[in-house]
Amino acid sequence: MMSVESRKRWQKCLYENAEYDDNYTDPSFLKDLKTNLNVRFFTFEEAIKGITRLNNQISCITIFLVIFYMLYSELVTPSDVLVVTGLFTSVGYIFYRGQKLFEVQYLLEDSKTLLAVLVFGYLFAPLLHRLTNAISTDTIFSMTFFVLLLNLIFCDYGLSAALVSKALSLNAAIFASICLASRLSTAFHAFVLLVESSVFFVLYPIFTTLYWRWYFLLPIFLLCCHLLYNISFNIFIIYALFTGFINIVCPCIFVAQQRYKYNIHGPWDEAIVEENTDNTINDKL
Amino acid sequence: MRICMVTDFFYPSIGGVEEHVFNLSQILLAHGHKVIVLTHSYGDCKGIRYLTNGLKVYYLPIKPFYNQCILPTILCQIPLIRCVLLRECIEVVHGHSAFSTLAHEAMIIGNMLGLRTVFTDHSLFGFADLSAVFTNKMLQINLSNVNHCICVSHIGKENTVLRARIPKEKVSVIPNAVDTALFTPDPSKRPTDGTINIVVASRLVYRKGIDLLAGVIPRFRHTHNIHFIIVGDGPKRDLLEEVREKNNMQNRVELIGAVEHSQVRDILVRGHIFVNTSLTEAYCMAIVEAASCGLQVVSTRVGGIPEVLPSNLIILTEPEVDSVYQGVIKALNRLAKFSNMQKGHIVETNVDKLSYRNGNVENGFTTISNSKKRKKSFDLHMRRETKNNGYLANIDNVEAVLCPYKCNEIVSTLYNWENVTQRTEKVYTRVLAEPEKSLGDLLYGYLRSKVWPFLLIISMAHVILLFLEYIRPRRYMEKLKN
Repeated sequence: MMSVESRKRWQKCLYENAEYDDNYTDPSFLKDLKTNLNVRFFTFEEAIKGITRLNNQISCITIFLVIFYMLYSELVTPSDVLVVTGLFTSVGYIFYRGQKLFEVQYLLEDSKTLLAVLVFGYLFAPLLHRLTNAISTDTIFSMTFFVLLLNLIFCDYGLSAALVSKALSLNAAIFASICLASRLSTAFHAFVLLVESSVFFVLYPIFTTLYWRWYFLLPIFLLCCHLLYNISFNIFIIYALFTGFINIVCPCIFVAQQRYKYNIHGPWDEAIVEENTDNTINDKL
Repeated sequence: MRICMVTDFFYPSIGGVEEHVFNLSQILLAHGHKVIVLTHSYGDCKGIRYLTNGLKVYYLPIKPFYNQCILPTILCQIPLIRCVLLRECIEVVHGHSAFSTLAHEAMIIGNMLGLRTVFTDHSLFGFADLSAVFTNKMLQINLSNVNHCICVSHIGKENTVLRARIPKEKVSVIPNAVDTALFTPDPSKRPTDGTINIVVASRLVYRKGIDLLAGVIPRFRHTHNIHFIIVGDGPKRDLLEEVREKNNMQNRVELIGAVEHSQVRDILVRGHIFVNTSLTEAYCMAIVEAASCGLQVVSTRVGGIPEVLPSNLIILTEPEVDSVYQGVIKALNRLAKFSNMQKGHIVETNVDKLSYRNGNVENGFTTISNSKKRKKSFDLHMRRETKNNGYLANIDNVEAVLCPYKCNEIVSTLYNWENVTQRTEKVYTRVLAEPEKSLGDLLYGYLRSKVWPFLLIISMAHVILLFLEYIRPRRYMEKLKN
């Protein structure tokens, strides 16, 4: 072995360093290591505003279940629910369409869709009402709980994550409403519940995707609290505490945990290239 | 020394790890060491088989579970592995590949039997995705008690040290090698009608950058003397076929499909340029084999690739379509320049490096005699590209080696199995000098990985070993003669 002074300078290549031991580690070791590249650190305010989307979905499910309970307990008539829902949906539609509201093309298209949903919904209501009749009530309720949990997990909260699946989320919600519909007294009750599910899980998300602001949660939260308070004080307390935990405690934990972010990047990372699919290949050629 | 190579990837399967294990074992045998290979069964290939020079291979009767690897159980394989290691009087257990379940299990059992363990990591991993997080944690657990680790590149060492939290002084860098006697140039196999063959040899999958290749090929649709020869198969083959058809290049893009490793050389020697578009690579054997066959190598600058070949044998590009394309153009310019030199149109000042006879440069490179039509097409393409990029004015800062035989000579001095084996022997000698680890040391090592439930598995494995020692003591085991 040569003396340290006389030997050639170590190079980061596999064919030059004959004078060095194979387990020699140069001071330049890990010099290309980069940590937390492109990592975004969120403020407490951003975290609180961001979590409102999740709370909005929880509140949606809560209101839907409250409506089911009211129909199930005959606290309200299906017609009343339908009228109130119709009013809210109309207001939402006016906001959604905006200036295009009186364009014949859109009016015709949307009327056709609405008519199709209502007519087919009404025609198939007796069938859907009897669909899960044979299954016991406790099984129905537990199934509903799990599928609505699926709806929460896979719902689109505006993040491009692998977990997001609008189709799965929507299917879970519709499945839950079909399960619950069989517990109601008449086919018309079932029809109203299906209309509610399409309003809460199809139309409302379209509206919120477009116009959502964090402070929209307040009226929804207050409405939920009011409805739950009238049904059961205990459930109201649980809901209020749960919402508080999600909207205040969770963002606190999230912001505190951010300092432990340690994303490692270096030359070993796989280079990212746009993958050619059937759609993109045609554009390129 | 008595060495046991353990891996899930061995013949009859073909690949980089398989080649490495086989060639290393062959030279170790030639050096007088006892070497056995431990792998799982491959279809009908089970039991004990003898390969070249009496290399003994145990094809254990374990079916592969996923991706050619066995089901990770640790406990179920103990009797088999213990039996082999003790009967063969093994001193060093050498596991290969982070993906190999059998390698990890054998190293764990080897450690518990008081043997020395060495691990060679052949691949690079990220840190972000879920599979990487899981694999890295498993690697950290398994390597917490390994005596020494070998990586095939410096980038590989950095990656392994970070992934497995292993002390850097316990990691050696010993590259792969290539049998340059097998991968010899043969310029007579190259076309003599002015066609330039660009060879690509890899699995046709996303991580080999086939999407980049699919972007580069159409750019040569109007250059009729550029041909592509693509060796390999995989899910991205359809993409290349689609690109070929949409650009009417059916007669200029040859998709050969999967071939035996022994046949790769016969295809490589047909080419002038070798293109590698990998998105990540620890070492990349393919570029060394191509350089050994005298091809100009154009490769993406990813992973350990910049460490492998000197700059006079490789053109490095960014993993982008434009950059790879410019790299190929650069290689084509070198060829054009070299072709001119051969015809006596000397465009370089340092001509003295080449032997000159009858107005021709003799250096083992076949003269490219272009047909008029092809030459015109090629020259137009070159003029257009060099106008944009100014490559012909100053092709390179380095003196590119374009003589195929010279390329082969350089590669044979850089990478040969003899050198790799000598360096690996040093690692074996070093680990054999280390003291044997007690059960307490092993448990403490595994405890450092912070996965405490794993201690239960190790404890259970220890109980099984004690039970096996009771029912079949090692002193009564028939030792196999060398």
